[in-house]
Amino acid sequence: MTRPETSPYATVLDDRQLTGRPIVLAGAGPLGGDVEVPEPLVTGAKKWKDVDQDICLHTEQFPTRRWWIAFAVALSMVGVLGFALASLFYSGMGIAGVNQPVGWGSFIINFVFWIGIGHAGTLISAVLYLFRQQWRTGINRAAEAMTLFAVACAGIFPIIHLGRPWFAYWLVPYPNARGPLWVNFNSPLAWDIFAISTYGLVSLTFWYMGLLPDLATVRDRATHPWRRHLYNALSFGWTGSHRAWRHYESAYLILAAFATPLVFSVHTIVSFDFATSVMPGWHATIFPPYFVIGAIFSGFAMVITLMSIMRGVFNLKHYITLNHMEAMAKVLLLTGMLVGFAYSTEFFMAWYSGSEWEGFVFKNRAFGPYGWAYAIMFTCNVFVPQLFWWKSLRRHPVVLFVVSVLVNVGMYFERYVIVVTSLHRDFLPSSWGMYHFTFWDYAILIGSFGLFFTLFLLFVRVLPVVAISEVKGVMDPRVARSAPPGRQVAPLGAGEVRP
Amino acid sequence: MSASSTSGVIGYFLEPSEALAAAAKTRDAGWKHFDFLTPFPIHGMEEAMGQRPSWIPYVTAVLAFIGILLAQALQNYVMVYDWPLNFGGKPHASWPSFVPITFEAMVFWAAIGTAIVAIVAGRVDSVPQPPPLLVKTGATVDRFVLWISATDPEWDAGEAVEFVRSLGAHGVELVEAGGKTHA
Repeated sequence: MTRPETSPYATVLDDRQLTGRPIVLAGAGPLGGDVEVPEPLVTGAKKWKDVDQDICLHTEQFPTRRWWIAFAVALSMVGVLGFALASLFYSGMGIAGVNQPVGWGSFIINFVFWIGIGHAGTLISAVLYLFRQQWRTGINRAAEAMTLFAVACAGIFPIIHLGRPWFAYWLVPYPNARGPLWVNFNSPLAWDIFAISTYGLVSLTFWYMGLLPDLATVRDRATHPWRRHLYNALSFGWTGSHRAWRHYESAYLILAAFATPLVFSVHTIVSFDFATSVMPGWHATIFPPYFVIGAIFSGFAMVITLMSIMRGVFNLKHYITLNHMEAMAKVLLLTGMLVGFAYSTEFFMAWYSGSEWEGFVFKNRAFGPYGWAYAIMFTCNVFVPQLFWWKSLRRHPVVLFVVSVLVNVGMYFERYVIVVTSLHRDFLPSSWGMYHFTFWDYAILIGSFGLFFTLFLLFVRVLPVVAISEVKGVMDPRVARSAPPGRQVAPLGAGEVRP
Repeated sequence: MSASSTSGVIGYFLEPSEALAAAAKTRDAGWKHFDFLTPFPIHGMEEAMGQRPSWIPYVTAVLAFIGILLAQALQNYVMVYDWPLNFGGKPHASWPSFVPITFEAMVFWAAIGTAIVAIVAGRVDSVPQPPPLLVKTGATVDRFVLWISATDPEWDAGEAVEFVRSLGAHGVELVEAGGKTHA
């Protein structure tokens, strides 16, 4: 069957022409019936070489004033982090809010929060790759970068939670002069070390594998010889050879296949930190799936937040279309309901178990002194995403942004509720207490956001924020080719490739 | 220009479908040291170029087993022989609690090792390439570039140019050893 020479995608120019529904080609079928094709993933009738220009441009020109302002703000927040950490190390844990009975406080909350954020990137890259969801190509690069930076932020917190962070290397099992004194491999805290470091390194590898062809694209556009040599070295001299693509594709598929269970394992192991203890409210078999779903939920919300900004600031609306945003909103709706289901299951089990302690903890969690935190959590995570039942709201940029921010507020409070409410009512009423953030807890939390945004702002300056080679692969060649059929093209002599 | 200073010939195509057809014809014409440089991987190109599927998965399987064995060895050595502690009378070799680290070690070895092997294999298990810093092929932009290397056992510059032209390439260029190109 010969294909028609004109593409239905040539006329889809921007978001306003996207409906989120298939395009119907009347009478285009082999027997004269209608044919439905999905809407294009890239709008604006872009050509392949336009993709390079649109995406690499931000790495090639001097940053805008807006970027400098954002960077200055983020960097000063990193300064706050540095100051707070220095004070903490100098004075000791006493300046933070943790005390008896709440011995796990803001550091563990922040750790679980950031690790949760760090789940969406690899999920989008790996799981959606295995499921052949082609819309991932527009957002996977930035989402993976977000993952790396979130894991970097998360990694700080277990170390400062140790109290004596200069002994952090004791967590690594190696033959030593202390006995040898080994870590206890029965402990979930030891599993955590392996899980988080493996996750960080495998995510980095996966991200870098995806970057290789794009680094070569940046190299071929570069004018300065240093820049060309630098990006050539970074891309390991990538030429686009199909003999290399053959191994590359195979390795990428394998990485995705290994990263998928890895994503699920990491937050499962984080939940073991809680679930293997005997605290009422933590000692629950639902914790692994509950944590994993929460992580996907918060990670996708953060991706929506960042993409809402990036689409506008970097003019990426042709590559990250409203259809992409709607797809993510659907994930948010689904995972939001699953999280709500988990909250309800916890309550059911507290009642059904007949355990007095469990029953008390959950009644206290929802209606006790921290009832306000529980109310924020439940509203933001379960009620607010219900807005996405309406298609018009799933496709509304402002609604998407606001809901995604609220979801992450809710998810922060989820971790707050889990950590604090189980601890503040000890088994003996004489040991009961309350937990308050001090100035330093706030400073470190704000500082971790500063670190995250600083790294992200640097990333958008030096690397392509959209996976160029993958986006090119999902474009219609009839629209994207460099010259119309039948026309000859000029040969590219040395140095002529630059636009 | 002598034949020895030529490193190969390139021909431009503008679409994956053209590239696939050209690759199949090049394969059938008996060229061995040829390659297609493309902005993104093309489905079916391995077959069109007459290549077998990648052997990377076998490497991954070996690496995954290495990871499993190392993690099991470490945990059992520490918990059973070197530092046996009594945790409430539970067995020293409590295998269920060794599962998470074993899994993570398997993923670590398999994933990182696969990526390194794949990047090296892309360079080693290949034919000599046009040097990317000297020759602008446009293969990272929007061209699908057929490359026949002068190392091919049947190499003849004139014949190669004629052959690439006969495939309907949109442009044909000879590449000299120093990276200079001419149509």
